[in-house]
Amino acid sequence: MKTFPLTIVTPDGVQFTGEAEELIVRAVSGDLGVMAGHTDLVTPLGMGRATLVADGKKRYAACIGGILSVLDGKVKLVPTTFEWADAIDRERAEAAEQRARKTLDDHAATSVELRLAEARLKRSLVRQSVAQQAK
Amino acid sequence: MAGVSTKEIKNRIRSMESTKQITKAMEMVAASKLRHAQAQVLQARPYFELIYGVIHDIARNNTDETLPYMHANSGTETVCYVVMAGDRGLAGGYNSNVLKAAYTEMQGRDAVVLPIGKKAAEFFHLRGIPLLSEHYADAEHVSVGDCFSVARTLCKAFLSGQFCEVRIVYTTFVSVLTQKAAGLKLLPIETRADILAEDGPDASRAADILYDPSPREVFRAIIPEYLGGVIYGALCESRASEQAARRSAMDTATQNAEEMIENLSHKFNQARQAAITQEITEIVAGS
Repeated sequence: MKTFPLTIVTPDGVQFTGEAEELIVRAVSGDLGVMAGHTDLVTPLGMGRATLVADGKKRYAACIGGILSVLDGKVKLVPTTFEWADAIDRERAEAAEQRARKTLDDHAATSVELRLAEARLKRSLVRQSVAQQAK
Repeated sequence: MAGVSTKEIKNRIRSMESTKQITKAMEMVAASKLRHAQAQVLQARPYFELIYGVIHDIARNNTDETLPYMHANSGTETVCYVVMAGDRGLAGGYNSNVLKAAYTEMQGRDAVVLPIGKKAAEFFHLRGIPLLSEHYADAEHVSVGDCFSVARTLCKAFLSGQFCEVRIVYTTFVSVLTQKAAGLKLLPIETRADILAEDGPDASRAADILYDPSPREVFRAIIPEYLGGVIYGALCESRASEQAARRSAMDTATQNAEEMIENLSHKFNQARQAAITQEITEIVAGS
């Protein structure tokens, strides 16, 4: 199968670099697949599961925020957070969900707090579902 | 008479020794923090470079100049500076270099400062330059999330026409021994014409890039991400620079203290010897 060069980098370091066969990420307008020979593309990312096929193996990850760019056949994925499914700390994600729900139920919370809690809730749900699916 | 001076010298040696202990301890603390900060820089650098490269490539291939963030706002002359310094002194020239560089850049311009680091906030407050927010004055506790919220605030302010330009002044971590203050333009982002003028004309034509969902939406969404990434990268560099500068400043201070103790011990021995000699002379002369 034809491959394309892919780099995945987050503020925490390089997550993947090498040849990949297929990459599926959640963009803002829905899931988006990239294979070799894709046209030049730039899109912001949403929150969701990313699927990477490299060396015939499929791997899942929670991919949140950032940019996907395809230029001259080179694919660069620059998310804000990117965690491989096997590296997700489920207990932490569950604890974050509980905390976020508590803030959302709190009537005294300010709009900024609510917005942050909502984002946190979404992130923790994405993490949990990715960790669940990878099992 | 000689007895008084040996006592004085002894006191000075003792005080030098405690100073040396303090500087030595500070050096060791800075060295251990530096290791951590250095690892963080090495982790963050590929991200910083990649996100900068991606935006650069996009700008280079983009011919639509009506997109948001591509133009300096014409209605205002205000330039917003994000200035990164430390929270504490005793770091050699670290704070003064970056603050001076920022201050020189501001001369003759209508500037607003977003300080990161207590030293930066104090410096510009003293010079009567308006501060955008003092919320991030505590550099040690600024997180990745804070960098992204700074970026969002700046982008919003830029789009609403408050600033004509956004710049950042920070310290690049070249090596453990060298750190350099640097300024970088964040907004507006460079246009194709700027980049081609800089890199020299080349044959590459503007490629047709597919923007999902639309160029305008994409720019609105990715520029704050880009800004956050660059600010975070600059923060990592600045932090590592601060620790490196402090470590070498404290190393020099410890060496100076050692040298001084050596000189003083020499003087002390001389004075002691002189006192003994004098006493013997007195006894011999007296008998």
